[in-house]
Amino acid sequence: MQEFLQQLVSGLASGGIFASLALALVLIYNAMGLVNFAQGEMAMFATFIAFALIERGASYWIAFPLTLVLAFAGGIAVQRIVIRPVERAPVLTLVIVTLGLATLFNGAAGFLFGYVPRSFPSPFSLTTLNIFGAYASYQDLGVIAVSGVVLLLIYLLLQRTTVGLTMRAAAHHPEASRLLGVRVSWMLALGWGLASAVGAVSGIMAAPALLLQPDMMQTVIIYAFAAAVLGGIESPLGAVVGGLIVGVTVNLAGAYLPFVGGDLQLAVALAIIVAVLVIKPNGLFGRPAVRRV
Amino acid sequence: MAALLELEEVRAGYGPTSVLHGVSLEVPEAGIVSLLGANGAGKTTTLRAITAGVRWTGDIRFDGRSLRRLSTEDVVRCGIAHVPEGRGILTELTVDENLRLGSHLRRDPDVRKDYDLVFEYFPVLKERRRLSASTLSGGEQQMLAIARALLMRPRLMLLDEPSLGLAPMIVRSIFEIIRTINQTRRVAVLLVEQNAGLALELSSAAFVLEVGRVAVHGDSAELKGNESVRRSYLGY
Amino acid sequence: MQRLRSAPPRYWLVLVAVLFLAGLPTVVTSFQASEFGGALVLAIAIMGLNILVGYSGQISLGHGAFMALGAYTSAILVHAYKLDFLATIPIAGVVTGVVGFLFGIPALRLSALYLALATFALAVVTPSLIKRPATLTGGVQGILLIQPDPPQFMKDGFAAITGTPMTSDQWIYYVILACTLLLFWFAWNLVRHRPGRAMRAVRDGEVAAAASGVNVAGYKTLAFGVSAFYAGVAGSLFALSTGFISPDTFPVGLSIQLLVGGVVGGLASIPGPLLGAIFVYFLPIESNQWVPSQTWIPTPVANTVVKAGPAVTYGAILILIMIFAPNGIVGLVNAGYSGLRRRLRGAGDRETGQMPPGPQTV
Repeated sequence: MQEFLQQLVSGLASGGIFASLALALVLIYNAMGLVNFAQGEMAMFATFIAFALIERGASYWIAFPLTLVLAFAGGIAVQRIVIRPVERAPVLTLVIVTLGLATLFNGAAGFLFGYVPRSFPSPFSLTTLNIFGAYASYQDLGVIAVSGVVLLLIYLLLQRTTVGLTMRAAAHHPEASRLLGVRVSWMLALGWGLASAVGAVSGIMAAPALLLQPDMMQTVIIYAFAAAVLGGIESPLGAVVGGLIVGVTVNLAGAYLPFVGGDLQLAVALAIIVAVLVIKPNGLFGRPAVRRV
Repeated sequence: MAALLELEEVRAGYGPTSVLHGVSLEVPEAGIVSLLGANGAGKTTTLRAITAGVRWTGDIRFDGRSLRRLSTEDVVRCGIAHVPEGRGILTELTVDENLRLGSHLRRDPDVRKDYDLVFEYFPVLKERRRLSASTLSGGEQQMLAIARALLMRPRLMLLDEPSLGLAPMIVRSIFEIIRTINQTRRVAVLLVEQNAGLALELSSAAFVLEVGRVAVHGDSAELKGNESVRRSYLGY
Repeated sequence: MQRLRSAPPRYWLVLVAVLFLAGLPTVVTSFQASEFGGALVLAIAIMGLNILVGYSGQISLGHGAFMALGAYTSAILVHAYKLDFLATIPIAGVVTGVVGFLFGIPALRLSALYLALATFALAVVTPSLIKRPATLTGGVQGILLIQPDPPQFMKDGFAAITGTPMTSDQWIYYVILACTLLLFWFAWNLVRHRPGRAMRAVRDGEVAAAASGVNVAGYKTLAFGVSAFYAGVAGSLFALSTGFISPDTFPVGLSIQLLVGGVVGGLASIPGPLLGAIFVYFLPIESNQWVPSQTWIPTPVANTVVKAGPAVTYGAILILIMIFAPNGIVGLVNAGYSGLRRRLRGAGDRETGQMPPGPQTV
């Protein structure tokens, strides 16, 4: 029972990381009907920037928000420079462009920072806390808390502010929004910036456990995809719920199903994706995304 | 005194198909002008040209300033509200959110008052505030579209077929509201309508389009009284 | 003779290319021939992907998985069941083709984006999936294959021309070349006749195609099957030419490489996959060789560049191509060529073999 609770908490912590990255995916999907295959690599790159800041003496709690700001700006820059020229192109072209971005960021990270895994500091200690008889580390709890705060802030931004409203309007109804004076193009850029910042949170939370290196987020993005698909690719709430479910499921599967073990957890994510797409493609909270002919 | 809106020899089309072949018209400050004509004559295209929804040549001037090369958003921000065919309701959002998108650009203190006014004209919108806009009926959506346009505090409203698909009583009340808005707020209106009779009652001047050109124009009262014009161009 | 003379320039180009490729091993080293063989293997896989993406309008980011299936099928048959390698090539192709066809059935329900996601996830998971049935696949250790000797008559024939008997590498190169020519020829025919037309109709507008009586579901799954068949054969040849396969031979990067090759070369074209394969295959090699050879670059920097260089270059080139030349090299050549012809001959000439347009939204 205690072990179960531990795995649960651990799963929630990973789930928080997946949820953050999944939320970034959903934000961009809502902005332009496209899944950004480069989201994980952009998050990793942002984490490296945080690392560089910390190495130069900045404290964690200064580097963290500063990185978010830089990631935000970076996301906007990417949208303006790379995405906008191909905005109206078919899906395949856009998919390839984001794949190109992913390769570019991965290579750039390797080029600038090398491929040796680095340890990344965490403000939370690894000492464990006794909750109802189970041991959960401050690290795990910290990740859950930070992810929760970020997700809440995004929710408030999107649902309660005018900017959030115009972003949602631009995402769902670009033409009608233009007739209301909304600068749709800039709203899309804003979506990218926001997604980039949220992705950076995911990376910074993941780095202490995964060790910082260019390939760090390649598995996380798959879990994030699973989370986004499970929750419904258009629903930010779905991303959060999906992330938590995926995190917990994968953890429990790894712990309790012998044939899964440590290395096939990723296959569990794949199984989730396939199962959802076959059974209920719109996910838990989304609208139908399957093509009807 | 120059008119609020002036179109001069405007040509426009979609790709290789040309729809407008030199349309010239004007809307005076605080005036109501009808744009009439058969289906396909180019009425909707004319409105779309004004808000940069289609490429055009010629000149379009608003308050003396040319609208050439402005994007849709920028044209709208000059003070023009366009309620398109199909109403342009953002069905993913709630009624309230739709309304807020109408007022989101404004910084003046009268916004509160305008909301009160809008709810006074269209009480159903107040009732359904928190509901998704997709739950509104056709007539209610038209009310929402007009309310939203009102909240933009425009100097000119472009209305594309506001009576389409609505019951006659609702159409009458909407037209009354438009008249009131025009008189109390001095908002100019360019009204595209199939229902020529109603349009001529509301407007002071009218332009009749035929195959992308202005065939007849003049004082609404005159046009209404002119039997041959009515029969050839207005179908009644 | 008349037909020869009036054949479009394209046919001559193909003939020259075939002769060039056939004669290649006689003028380059054995090792270089095997490298070129590697590029041809990729060309086959990319051709398969092209049939799926360029001609039938579906996406796959997971063709590396199909290659892995073909490779392991061949390797296991040779290693455990002692089959002759050449015999395993078509078997690997068919097995993979059937699996691909079956995969195409649920894929029908997925929109382009979801299909991309699902196949991407498949590609990422493939190494782990291979490791698991370790007794069958050799797990992490992989499978080591002994490369076959050329048959005696080939050895002698080759010696007659060049003076040295044919090596294993060169024999393998010819096997690969034969498969490449056969499969390209098959693809060319497929595209020219009804299946190709049907697929393109589906790609350009499913609803319209269905309304015209095209069996949309049938052709889409067929495209998946054929495409997987090609990838399976390529995988099998890959195992043959490198002599060793392991789970790490098929990372997600491979699937992306295939897609990059297809796009850069030019989707919906026959020569495109070959050009793309050359690009994808030799770019890392060149940067691996050129950079370290420059003595003025310090070693650790050179090492990092070698490791990171291709990635950055790939990424940048991919993006630039999508923005400026979405129809790839073939598209650029065609645009330039038809522009030139138009200028030389005046408007209104009959255009032979006009390439189909780039991929459409699914």
